[in-house]
Amino acid sequence: MEIEPPESVVPPPAKFALPVDSEHMATEFRFFSIAKPHMSAFHLSWVSFFTCFVSSFAAPPLIPIIRDDLNLTATDIGNAGIASVSGAVFARLALGAACDVFGPRLASSSLIILTAPAVYFTSIASSPVSFLLVRFFAGFSLATFVSSQFWTSCMFSANLVGTANGLSGGWGNLGGGATQLIMPFVFSVIRDIGAVKFTAWRIAFFIPALLQTVTAFAVLLCGQDLPDGNLQRLHKEGDKPKEDFSKVFYHGISNYRGWILALTYGYCFGVELTVDNIIAEYFYDRFDLKLSTAGIIAATFGLANLFSRPLGGVLSDVVAKRFGMRGRLWTLWTVQTIGGILCVILGRMGSLGASVAVIVAFSIFCQAASGLTYSVVPFVSRRSLGVISGMTGGGGNVGAVVTQLIFFKGSRYSKERGITLMGIMIICCTLPICLIYFPQWGGMLCGPSSNKSFAEEDYYLSEWSSLEKDIGFHHESMKFASNSRSERGKRSVISTTGAASISPSIQV
Amino acid sequence: MGTRAVILASLLVACLAQACDGNVLFSSLSRTLVVEASPTAGQVLKSGEDKIKVTWSFNGTYSGKDADYKTVKVKLCYAPVSQKDRGWRKTVDNLKKDKTCPHLIVARPYSSSAPNNSFEWTVTKDIPKATYFIRVYAINASANDVGYGQTTNKNKTTNLFEVDAITGRHTSLDIASVCFSAFSVLSLAGFFIGEKRRAKKSSPPHM
Repeated sequence: MEIEPPESVVPPPAKFALPVDSEHMATEFRFFSIAKPHMSAFHLSWVSFFTCFVSSFAAPPLIPIIRDDLNLTATDIGNAGIASVSGAVFARLALGAACDVFGPRLASSSLIILTAPAVYFTSIASSPVSFLLVRFFAGFSLATFVSSQFWTSCMFSANLVGTANGLSGGWGNLGGGATQLIMPFVFSVIRDIGAVKFTAWRIAFFIPALLQTVTAFAVLLCGQDLPDGNLQRLHKEGDKPKEDFSKVFYHGISNYRGWILALTYGYCFGVELTVDNIIAEYFYDRFDLKLSTAGIIAATFGLANLFSRPLGGVLSDVVAKRFGMRGRLWTLWTVQTIGGILCVILGRMGSLGASVAVIVAFSIFCQAASGLTYSVVPFVSRRSLGVISGMTGGGGNVGAVVTQLIFFKGSRYSKERGITLMGIMIICCTLPICLIYFPQWGGMLCGPSSNKSFAEEDYYLSEWSSLEKDIGFHHESMKFASNSRSERGKRSVISTTGAASISPSIQV
Repeated sequence: MGTRAVILASLLVACLAQACDGNVLFSSLSRTLVVEASPTAGQVLKSGEDKIKVTWSFNGTYSGKDADYKTVKVKLCYAPVSQKDRGWRKTVDNLKKDKTCPHLIVARPYSSSAPNNSFEWTVTKDIPKATYFIRVYAINASANDVGYGQTTNKNKTTNLFEVDAITGRHTSLDIASVCFSAFSVLSLAGFFIGEKRRAKKSSPPHM
């Protein structure tokens, strides 16, 4: 008589609207559903991230008005742009850890509400210094990217996680493009009602700020951390062990794969942030376009996220079906390198039509690479998923800061030369993907470990001490390990019950 | 000698070509107008309140004629100190690309006699805080600039005045910002306190 694992002795599992795996993560994706907990989490995560992107990049389309009101110099504007993305470097890492400990619902809604005042106070900024400060603090909200990825990684099964992450990340990123259309429109409506220019832009900032407040409340009131319930309740009922922050943090930062992904993400997503900041000006100056035309081209770069980032995630999941994790890594390297080549070409294009064509292609590859990166992130660590997500996300912002500092500050390089050099840097900084190696699945250049008995369980359980395993803290990681067996690709034999028929190392 | 002549000739042709193309260079214009404006050197004007009176007339010492001047455009222009580190206000010789004088005060049919050669203008509320001078462009029938006059010297260092702009801030906006921010933060705190209380009430006594 088989003794059943303890999980089935607890109260019968809740009925889910979507088919789920053993961890109750959804194995199917339904766009138009808002069923709790999976699809509601998905929609809340991308909408909250979208509003944060709108707020963080609400200033750039209105800079021509703001720079006259606050008497800004080009240096002030450049510094504020760098400040807007640098706050999130550490905020992303901190939020990642907070998600591991407190759950994505509380962590993200708290951050969003606490950064809303920065957006409200943008309305009363009166000097270059105050402008820089509000952009800096509002930029912290970009950390909600991490919570949105964490949340969808908790809700969707391994075979879908690339798609789910790509969709929530991509549709959130859309905010960067949407804001280039929303803010000028809101500004012109307010001005036409009768406000003077220098007051109209201030009133306009209440819109993104209010949106932020409302979505934060929606997340708090309607969201649920995990398929089985909210983290606090699960902690109390003993269904989920309370996490030790220092252990979670340690296991995250000691995993070298997290650092490599942080670097490479800086050269897909970081490049995307940089381009968001400079591209309207580039087209305006180089091709003598009207500001509104340059703004539309800038918006299309961000709006491509609607499909290009999810495309990366979908591509990753499709490739993984046949080639597993090795396929994901090869696809990531290929797509990001092509993005780098297109960036080099963009800087050398002299005609408007060719430039627009290249930038559209560049946006697709650059954003798909971001989606591909976050289809690999959920597998790097199970215990420290939040910290790894945060590190990678933070690395993205570091890439944006570094790239803007080297190539786009001051007049050392013309913008077109800066863009070409940025492309070369993308190609070089994508190479380290070759170094990522999972013993149970392999890496780009090597197959899985010749030690046939090393399995997914060994990799994920290495994050728990034997003491913790004795108490039973590791069961969730075990379930994940078993569900992640699909990362071996077609050559693996996946049993339909999900039980480990291959690995003998399961302990009950 | 021969090459120098060729170079000069080609430069001349290039300049003429530019002019024919409609790309008038500022350096090709002569200072044919005498412009006077009411602000004194260093005066600070309040936008929305103070007025500027500009008067222009044909420069008698200039040997040419003003017969082909059809319209004048009176513009408010940035002084070099307000252009520093601000590429969007850059001075470029090609007048089509020049951004020194973005603010149009008035465009009028040309007349060199009173009362049509002056204009009184209230500084509008969208003029930013900066240091300025006034320049008047004379335009011919083909809409090309053919002459100018300005209130400052060639290097734009004398007789400059400032405009003190509105901030755009209002007390009601300040209060609204503070209230909304406080509301957001306090509701979050209230939510956490409420959750804690609810948790205490609903949790059965534990061993």
